[in-house]
Amino acid sequence: MPARRPVVTPRFAMTRELMLVAVTLGLTVMVGLLNHDFIGAQNLRFMLLNSVVLSLVALGQTLVIAMRGIDLSVAPILGLAAMVCGLLAQTHGLSLAAALPLALSIGLVLGTINGLLVATMDIPPIVVTLGTYSLYSGLTFLYSDGTQVDAVPPTFAAFGNGHLLGIVPVPTPVVVLLVVLALCWYVLRHTGFGRAVLAVGNNASAAYAAGLPVTWVRIRVYALSGTLAAFAGLMFLCYTGSATVTAGTGDHIELQSIAVSLIGGTAIAGGRGNLIGTVLGSLFLSVVLTALVFLHVPPIWYSAGEGLMILAAVQAGIGRRRGARA
Amino acid sequence: MSAWERSLLILLVIVTTGFGLEVPGFFDDISGFLSMTSNFLPFGIVALGLSLVIFTGGIDLSVGATASLAAVIAAQLWATMGLNIWVASLIGLAVGGVLGGINAAVIVFLRVEPLIATLATSFIYTSAAVAVAGDAPPSGFPDAFNSLGSGALGLGHFQLPYQLLLFLPLAVLFWLLVGRSAFGRKLVTVGYNSEAARYSGIRVPRVLAAAYVISGMMAALAGLVLSAYYSAARADMGDVLLLTTIAMVVLGGVSIFGGEGSMGGVIVAVLLLGLLRQGMLIAGFSDMVTSMLTGAILISSIAVRNLFSSRAGGFGRRLLAFVRRPAVAGTDITRHDAP
Repeated sequence: MPARRPVVTPRFAMTRELMLVAVTLGLTVMVGLLNHDFIGAQNLRFMLLNSVVLSLVALGQTLVIAMRGIDLSVAPILGLAAMVCGLLAQTHGLSLAAALPLALSIGLVLGTINGLLVATMDIPPIVVTLGTYSLYSGLTFLYSDGTQVDAVPPTFAAFGNGHLLGIVPVPTPVVVLLVVLALCWYVLRHTGFGRAVLAVGNNASAAYAAGLPVTWVRIRVYALSGTLAAFAGLMFLCYTGSATVTAGTGDHIELQSIAVSLIGGTAIAGGRGNLIGTVLGSLFLSVVLTALVFLHVPPIWYSAGEGLMILAAVQAGIGRRRGARA
Repeated sequence: MSAWERSLLILLVIVTTGFGLEVPGFFDDISGFLSMTSNFLPFGIVALGLSLVIFTGGIDLSVGATASLAAVIAAQLWATMGLNIWVASLIGLAVGGVLGGINAAVIVFLRVEPLIATLATSFIYTSAAVAVAGDAPPSGFPDAFNSLGSGALGLGHFQLPYQLLLFLPLAVLFWLLVGRSAFGRKLVTVGYNSEAARYSGIRVPRVLAAAYVISGMMAALAGLVLSAYYSAARADMGDVLLLTTIAMVVLGGVSIFGGEGSMGGVIVAVLLLGLLRQGMLIAGFSDMVTSMLTGAILISSIAVRNLFSSRAGGFGRRLLAFVRRPAVAGTDITRHDAP
């Protein structure tokens, strides 16, 4: 079997990304012709904003999957960060400036626990994050003690629903997402750490033999994924203005984040990560789910739509790989 | 019996006697004790089928959705078409097999990773289950059917729950299937190295298909038992099954990468995790704390096993060797490196 390339070739990446953009735009125009409200500024903004939280989680998930891991615990980490920050803001007047480092450190600690268990104890990632899934969601439950967040301070809501005024007003969360995406992209594509992540995902023993600090790389990636999930939790809190015990876990955001990573062109077998594709994938998912609403498809079929999308996206990836080899 | 099975069995004895002595209500009489198993045996039924899939190195994330969909279809056949509930249940089992077959087809023909394939199909099955269940999920089954979930066979003072009567033969059957049959050997070989299995003449797609079909049927059976237990078939009934059953299989010593483990371990793990949960609930812990502990046990048990296994590099083995090192170097010529 020929050695797989550890990094996306620009050509492949562009085709996958262009394909996603084309499909998303095509769908938007098609549904827009049927229902003009769909391409109204209001709805376009809504679809864009709706994808931000998932994108943030999925960026971390993409890094983990590119390293041939999986992180199911992102959902409860998101929920715990949203719950802790939300309750403290609601009852003790925690400021947004203080909530940010708090959320990030929650994610960093919980993610590092995942990483330590995976990397030093050699427990399969799916088992570790399945276990910490119940542990972390239990923590959220215990911390909330039956209460929920429904009245966050105005600064939070202003951040989650505000605009940065430029030539056109861009919603703040979108700007934040683009900054995070740029950082992650730079880290994955232009740093030694990013190369190491792909190398470990491609072949961990070879990476070890080549002298890469495999254990350390693994710990850092899970820590990063946890941190991003917690940051997404804060963003969720600011955007929706609420947090319940089932925030994150109720929507199965862990499964959605895996799905959009794959739709974006990241290989489940590791060694290949496409961060821009992941963000486009989340946007695509958001457009599809909103389109189903506009087309009056009963809500019960939304999850089936998601399932079919995953299969179609993975199929597209397989077809391309076969084509490339022939 | 492997060392892991032995450890699990010892743990099971410790947990049972510990709760029995410390928690009033856990072991008042044998019938009451056995009736507790009705609360967790649906998980065990799923775990039996899921084990086969994990043995092949795959995973079936759709077991929960399959259980719900099969049970809801059976219940609707009974409620709307007036079919006999037992005939409807048989159809439900067949539906489970078909759903498992779809999983296998996606994995084998479309060459999609099992994790992704069953993730996608679980989304689809969930939608279908909600659609079939409709606004008013069917409920109020005949008493004979309900007793499958919550009834017991009376033998004088002694009460044997029907769920246990169902689970025990199945457990033996699966134990024989994996440990004592040609199919079992093929299953494990495929999981250990599917290329090697192919070169040694095993029809890998067939083995995979059988594993997923059986897993789907067992999930359907668990769904039927659950709907008998609640005397209602809800579309979200199976959601709770997935995480706990994966925990049971992995705790039972089956490697998540396939090709390693035993059915005996899984069966003991089902009883161990199930009784532990029941004991904690009776002792007054909340459901949430109980599942937190389940998660902790899952991680720590694999961690402990890895520490002492030779495959994982054996930090624990080195530690043991260090502890057991001879007091004066060179005096102990019979020393073995492996404890």
